[in-house]
Amino acid sequence: MSQPKTATHCPYCAMQCGMNLTQHEGNWVVEARDFPTNRGGMCRKGWTSVALLESPQRLTSPLLRREKDAPLQSVSWDEALDFIVGKVEQIQDKWGRDAVGVFGGGGLTNEKAYLLGKFARVVLKTANIDYNGRFCMASAAAAGNKAFGIDRGLPFPMQDIAQADAVLLIGSNIAETMPPIMQWFEKLRENGGKLIVVDPRATPTAQNADYHLQITPGTDLVLANGLLHIAIEEGLLDEAFIATRTTDFECARRAVASYWPARVERITGVDEANLRDVTRLLARANSMFLTARGAEQHANGTETVLGFINLALGLGKAGKFYNGYGCLTGQGNGQGGREHGQKADQLPGYRKIENETHRREVAAHWGISPDELPRAGKSAYELLDSMGEADGLRALFVMGSNVAVSSPSAGKIRRKLAALELLVVSDLFLSETAELADVVLPATQWAEEQGTMTNLEGRVLLRNQAKTPPEGVWSDAQFLNALAKRWGQGERIPSEPRVIFDELRRVTKGALADYSGITYERITQNKGVFWPCRAGYDDTPRLFHDRFAHPDGRARFHDVQFFGLPEEPDTEYPFFFTTGRVMSQYQSGTQTRRIPELNAMSGPPFVELHPDLALEMGISEGDMVRVTSRRGSATGCAKISDGIRADTLFMPFHWGGHHSANLLTIPALDPTSKMPEFKVCAAKIEKATEVERDS
Amino acid sequence: MIPESTQKKKLVVIGNGMAGGRLAAELVARGATKHYDISIFGDEPGGSYNRILLSDVLNGSKMPESIVIHPLEWYEANHLTLHAGERVIAVDRMNRLVQGDRGTTLHYDTLVFATGSRAFIPPMEGLSAPWGERKSGVFVMRTLRDCAGIAGYAQKAQRAIVVGGGLLGLEAARGLMEHGAAVHLVHRSNCLMSAQLDQVSGKFLKDTVEKMGITVHLDKDTKAILGEESATGLAFSDGTELPCDMVVVACGIAANIELAREAGLAIEKAIVVDDQMQVEENIYAVGECAQHRGEVYGLVAPIWEQARVLADVLTGRTAAYSGSKLAVKLKVMGVELASMGRTREREGDEIVCYQEAQRGRYKKLVIRDGRLAGAILLGDVRKTATLAQFFDRQMPLPEERASLFFDIGKGAGNTTKALPDDATVCNCNGVSAGKIRACIKEGANEISLVMASTKAGTGCGSCKSQLREFLG
Repeated sequence: MSQPKTATHCPYCAMQCGMNLTQHEGNWVVEARDFPTNRGGMCRKGWTSVALLESPQRLTSPLLRREKDAPLQSVSWDEALDFIVGKVEQIQDKWGRDAVGVFGGGGLTNEKAYLLGKFARVVLKTANIDYNGRFCMASAAAAGNKAFGIDRGLPFPMQDIAQADAVLLIGSNIAETMPPIMQWFEKLRENGGKLIVVDPRATPTAQNADYHLQITPGTDLVLANGLLHIAIEEGLLDEAFIATRTTDFECARRAVASYWPARVERITGVDEANLRDVTRLLARANSMFLTARGAEQHANGTETVLGFINLALGLGKAGKFYNGYGCLTGQGNGQGGREHGQKADQLPGYRKIENETHRREVAAHWGISPDELPRAGKSAYELLDSMGEADGLRALFVMGSNVAVSSPSAGKIRRKLAALELLVVSDLFLSETAELADVVLPATQWAEEQGTMTNLEGRVLLRNQAKTPPEGVWSDAQFLNALAKRWGQGERIPSEPRVIFDELRRVTKGALADYSGITYERITQNKGVFWPCRAGYDDTPRLFHDRFAHPDGRARFHDVQFFGLPEEPDTEYPFFFTTGRVMSQYQSGTQTRRIPELNAMSGPPFVELHPDLALEMGISEGDMVRVTSRRGSATGCAKISDGIRADTLFMPFHWGGHHSANLLTIPALDPTSKMPEFKVCAAKIEKATEVERDS
Repeated sequence: MIPESTQKKKLVVIGNGMAGGRLAAELVARGATKHYDISIFGDEPGGSYNRILLSDVLNGSKMPESIVIHPLEWYEANHLTLHAGERVIAVDRMNRLVQGDRGTTLHYDTLVFATGSRAFIPPMEGLSAPWGERKSGVFVMRTLRDCAGIAGYAQKAQRAIVVGGGLLGLEAARGLMEHGAAVHLVHRSNCLMSAQLDQVSGKFLKDTVEKMGITVHLDKDTKAILGEESATGLAFSDGTELPCDMVVVACGIAANIELAREAGLAIEKAIVVDDQMQVEENIYAVGECAQHRGEVYGLVAPIWEQARVLADVLTGRTAAYSGSKLAVKLKVMGVELASMGRTREREGDEIVCYQEAQRGRYKKLVIRDGRLAGAILLGDVRKTATLAQFFDRQMPLPEERASLFFDIGKGAGNTTKALPDDATVCNCNGVSAGKIRACIKEGANEISLVMASTKAGTGCGSCKSQLREFLG
C-alpha cells in the first residue's frame, strides 16, 4: 500500500536537502527525494529528523512562571498571552517601548522572519529586534554588500562548483557540517579540479583536500593578504578585469604591500612554497573562493572576508561562469532570515532601516507613517548584553534561538536572561533558554506547517506540511497574531503562511531581495526559485555576469589590515581556544541532543587536544578535563587528535550546562557586522576534579 | 578606554618610518583620533613606505609605488597631520614643545620618539679626508641614495671590501658582485652571521660564499682605512693590510638618539623604555631608537610588536611588551637560510642536528626545557613555517624530533577488507563495515544498491571508494 508523500526539506542546515516524508506502519519516515542540490543524498541528521515528530519531550502546553522563584506550570494559551500582554504594557509604560526586545533565528521560515520583524516594529513599536544570524554569517553579509553591493550566499548554483578548476575553502568543515554538498567537490576533483582547505584543524574536509593550509587560529586575513601580495609580485593579476569591472584596486595593493611571504609564513604557519603554489593554482583558470564561519566568526570577520574578495577580484575570478566568491551560510534559513527584517538595521527585501526612501516604501505597505517606524536597534550581542542595564532591555521574546548556549560569554548572558522582568521563549522543547523563561510557548515543527526557506545559494524552497501539530501546539505566526489581536492589531499580523508570503512578495517588490515573482507553485514546479525574481521575469541563478550590484556596476576593493587578535594566549591562559561543530549535532543541540542515535554518534561533549600537549599535561583519552578562559569554564572528555596544533584546544558548541563552549568565548565584536569573536580566545586546560567528573 | 573629552589631547610622533608609520596605522585602527590630535614629523617628503623592500626596488623586482604603505592622502583621510619633509631639531620638555627645521613648533601632551637608526660605523682611523668629510670610496648601505652611490663607484673599482659579515654585509657583497669588482669581505669574528648561525653553519655559508667568488677574511678587526683623499686599503689590528678601491661599512645600525639626548632623556645604547614603551611621564619611544630590557631591535617584526603595544597603551588599554622572539629567513648568495632564537647551545640543552656537507644542507634545533629555543635551517628551509610556530608559540615538541626536519609518513593502516565489523565506514550515516558486508551478502552487487540500502555514501560521499573495495 502506498502512503502519501510530502515533498519538503530537511529541518537543519542551509543545504536544505530535499526529502520526502511519509508514514510506514504508523511511523514517520524520511525518504530520498531527487532535488537538484542534494540529489537524494543526506546526512544522519536528515535521515533521523522525524524522530522528533513524536518525541515525548515535546512541549504541548504553554508554561508560565508566575513569580521569579516559582516553577514553570502548564497554563492555557489565553492565560499565557494575557500574562505577556499585561507585563509588556507594564514594562513599556515604565521603561519605554525599546525596553522590550525580540530575538529571532536563522531557522525561521521567511514568512515567520518577516512577520516577526513587522510585529516588533508595528505592534511592539520597538527598535530592538535582532537575531542569531549575527552569530552566523553576518560578516560575510557585510563584506558582500561592501564589495558587490548585494549579499547572496552563493552567486551561482552549487552544481557550478563541479565545473571549477580550483576552490579555496576557508574555515569550512563541510564534510561534517553539510556532507551532501561534498558530491559537487567530488565531481570537481573527478574533473581534475583542486580543493584547497584553510583550517587550523585537520578536519575531515581538510584531510580529503589537495592542499591543507593549517593556519594559526585567527590569521585568515594575513593569509588572504599574503596570497594577493604574491599574485602582484608574480604578475598574476587580471589587469583587464581590474580595469573594467572594479574600483579602488590601489588601496588593496597598498594594504598587501606589508604582507611579504616570509612575514605571512611566520604569522600563519603556512610555508612559502605552499603559499606560492596555491596562488598560482587559483590564478590559473576558473576559481572559487568560499568562506564559512572559520573565516567569518572573528572580530575582524568582515575584513577577513574582504581580504579574500580582494584576492578573487585581483585574479579576475568573479562575475563569470564557474568563478566567484561565496559564503557557505550555516543555518537553514540563514539567507532568507537576513533579508526580511528581523535584523536590527534592516527592513524586508534587504532594505535599510536608516534609508528614508526605504522607510517610506515599507511604512506605506504597513499602513503606518514613516515616523512611526522605529530606527535601527541594537545588534544581537549588544541587545543581550543590554538586558537589565540602564536604557537596556527589561523584556525579551526569543523565537527559534537558544541564546543561553549560543551566545558568547554565555555564563553572563544566562544570568542576565534569568533576571529579566519578562522572558518569553517559543520553542519545540524546553531548551536551556526556555528553562530560564517566564513564559514558554510550544511551537510547531518544520513538518507541521508550511513555509519557504532560502538556502545558501539564494534558492527559495518550499516546505510542505506533512502532519497536523499536536493538540496545544501553535505556530509562531498564530501566537503573534493572537498577541496582536489583544492589542487590536490582529489584521496586521496574519497567521496563514500563504497570506504572509503574498504580503512579503508585495513588500519586497522593487527591493534588492525582490521576491515578487516567487510563488509556492513556481517553487514546486521549478524545484526552487533564485532571488532576485521580479513578478513576470525569470529568476537569477547567477549574479554579476553583466554587472555588480553597486550603482556603477563595479566591484570594490578594500584596504584591509590585520591588527592582531582580541585576546592572545599568554602565560596564564597559554592556548588558543576555538569552537565549531560535529557532524551529528546541530547548533545548540535543542533538537539533535534529543535524538539518541545522533548522541551515540557524536559521543559526549569533548575537548580536542594534541597528543604532545596531552602527554605533557598528563591527560589521557577520555579523561574529564576543564577548559577555562577569563570568562568562564566548561568541562568535557579529552579527545586526543594529531589533527590539531599543540597550542590549540577545540570544543564543539552543541551542549548546554557546564559543557557549553560559549562559556569561554569572548564577546569582542566586529565593528561592521557586530559578529562576536567565536573562533579564537585564550584558555587553559586541566584535569577536572572528582566533583566535576560526577556532575 | 579614555573618555571622549571636548578638548582633545595633542599627540606628537617624531618619525614616520617603519615604527612611526606603523604606530599611526595602529592608532587609526583603534579610533585614537577621537581622543587625540595626532601630528607626525617625517624627514622624507612622502608618506610611509616599506623600507625592508627597498633592496627589491634597487634590484628592480619591485616598482617604487608597490612599497608605499600609506600615501599622503591616507594621513588626511584619517585626520592625521603629517609634517612631511620636516626634521625635528629640538624638544623642550619643560614647556612640552617640539620644534621643526621648517619653522613648525607644536605643543604636545604626549610625545613619541620613533626616530629610527642609521648605519653604525665602528671607531676606526682614516675615515675622513683632510677636509673633514668622509673619504671618497667609503660607503654605508642604508638608503636608496647610498645604494645608488655604491653602484656608481663600483663601476670603476677593481677591488671592493665589505666590512662586516652579518646579514647586511653579505647583502652588500652580493650587490657589489653585480658590478664587476673583485669583492672581499672582512669580518671581525670567526663566523659569518654570528648572530644567527653557529660555527658549522657559518662554515657552510662561508664555503658557499667563496664558491661564488667572494674572498672571505675572518678574525679581521679593521683598525684604519688607508689612503689620503680616497680609500686605498684597510689596516687590521693584527698588523696586516688589504688594498682596495672602495669600502662598504656594514656593521649594523646605531639608534638616532641625539635629539632625545639633547632633550635630557635617559640614554644607553638607545632611549631606555619600560614594558609600556614609556621613557618618562608623557614620553614614549618605539622602534630602532628604543632600548627595552637591554635590547635594541633592528628587525621589522619586533618593531611592529612594539607599535602595537604602544598604540594599546596610548588608547587606554592594558598592554605590555615583553621582548620579541627573533627569526630571520632570507636568501643569501642563492643560499636559503632560516634562523631563529638562540642557535648556540648552552650546558644542558638538547641538540638535534642533521648535516649534508656535500649538498650544503644543515639543520639544527636547540631545545631547552622541552621547548624550541633556537633553530637553523640552511640549504633546505621547507620546515621554517612549522619550526617558527613551535618557536613563537613555545608549543610542546613532538617526541619524534626528526618529524621537525622531515615529513615522516604514517603507517599504511588497516585496509578496508580487514576492517572489523564494528568499524564505522560511513561517518555521515553511521554505517558499520558489518552492515555493509551483510548488505552485500544479501545480494547488493552494485555500489548504488549498497548506498540505497544502507545509506552509506549518501552524505559527504568520501567513503564511496571504500564501498567499492568491499564490492571488489
